Amino acid sequence: MTARSDGLQRFMLGLVGIGLFLGMWQVIGVYRLAGLTWPPLTDVLAFITDPSKQTLFGRAITASFSAVITGYGLGVVAGIALAMLGRVVAVLKPGLDRLIAVIHAIPLVALAPLFMVAANRDATPPSIAALGVFYMIYVATTSGLNAASATHRDVFTALGASPVTRFMRLELPAALPAIVSGMKLAIPVAFIGAIVGEWFGASRGLGLLMVSAMQNFQIPLLWSAVLIVTASSLALFGLMSLVERLTYGRYQ
Amino acid sequence: MSGVIKGLGTFLSNYWGVIAILVLWEAWVNISGLNAIVLPSPVSVFLDLASAPGLYATNAAQTFIVALLGLILGLAGGILLALVAWASRLLNGLLTPLGLIFSCVPVVALIPIIARLLGYDMRTEIAIVAIAAFFPTFVFVGAGLRALPPGSDDLFKVFGASRIQRFLRLVLPAAVPNLMIALRLTAPEAILAAILAELLMGTSGLGFMFREASGRFAMERAFGTSIIATITAVICFGLVMAAERRVAARWQ
Repeated sequence: MTARSDGLQRFMLGLVGIGLFLGMWQVIGVYRLAGLTWPPLTDVLAFITDPSKQTLFGRAITASFSAVITGYGLGVVAGIALAMLGRVVAVLKPGLDRLIAVIHAIPLVALAPLFMVAANRDATPPSIAALGVFYMIYVATTSGLNAASATHRDVFTALGASPVTRFMRLELPAALPAIVSGMKLAIPVAFIGAIVGEWFGASRGLGLLMVSAMQNFQIPLLWSAVLIVTASSLALFGLMSLVERLTYGRYQ
Repeated sequence: MSGVIKGLGTFLSNYWGVIAILVLWEAWVNISGLNAIVLPSPVSVFLDLASAPGLYATNAAQTFIVALLGLILGLAGGILLALVAWASRLLNGLLTPLGLIFSCVPVVALIPIIARLLGYDMRTEIAIVAIAAFFPTFVFVGAGLRALPPGSDDLFKVFGASRIQRFLRLVLPAAVPNLMIALRLTAPEAILAAILAELLMGTSGLGFMFREASGRFAMERAFGTSIIATITAVICFGLVMAAERRVAARWQ
């Protein structure tokens, strides 16, 4: 009982904290405490919901979100596939690990010229997103595939399970929580990849909107674009946290 | 002789992925017949590096200093706020959920807003890196301050340690490993954020160099900048890993 009321109290305090933050945003904006470049929250929300801006935002959101989804999907599939390949064909594992560490050591920015040469400009955002997501998922899956205990593995072998059965029935389910955690952490990475990719000269998207609004002093537009990106990233992150909790409940 | 073969085997097993990528790149350049303006050969990139070592070095040093100062400021701020939240239950309840939310926000997307708020300046670049490092530090150190080894708190109380002593000798050391985790997570992001801030604002450093070079299609310079950026990131990450090993050796 006390634990529950304690949790409730913490939840309420957290809500109050978030409320205070939003209130401060509004007050700073209304009284111009941070200068002209900090608009009140209500102005930003009004700007986003303004019907005359719908086509502008609609086009940018479609472009950015399709880059995020494509990059995320490709990264997840490639990450899981390569981690499984490294597991099944053990000879390849050291080289794969090394290659992926090398790729990860290169800052995403530094890969941009390569993408600009190799892919067309609008393919850069999903590619950069995919690369970042891929790294996250590969690492999560590799560590997840080691999660099944040696005892469990021995039981499967002793009862005559083939390596394939053992993989499908034991190692893969045991890896699922780690994979889902990786998928959760990969969500902000996918957004960063898509936005940064757009900064290198895509022809449309929220990232492009941000940069042009920044350079042209379109303050409400700038804050709206940033708010849309961060809020969507947070919402999806929250959704994945729920999925994560369900997975942990079911598989651990 | 067999030693050499064995050594070669280990080398191949570790580096087959990296070698494969290089071979594929070479083959792709040759087969697709891209000319040198689009995709520079490795030799011309190294010639460019050798032709302007001073330019590369000063810009790399500047990016490194921005990342380092920002990292230090962000860590200090995060630790400070974590301590404040540790000391007050109310502030802890108010701040921790906010900190968790912000540590999941793609901070890179906030760069245009911060740039507009603080002006195009080197101080802004430092502030951006500091903000990127601040929230993860707050979350991790805050968790560390609360995760004391089981029973240790009672032991300190039994032996009559004062609140200050308990804080200095037990709580503070307990948070150090978590601080190192925060550092390892934020260090690569610090370099990325510094380069991106320079790229967007066009002030100076590697990001600016990259933007200037790709603007006039000087691909040798763009690829050279990528190489230097990677080396800077690897050095930064190496320093953090070394620091982490030191701390781990001292604290375990």
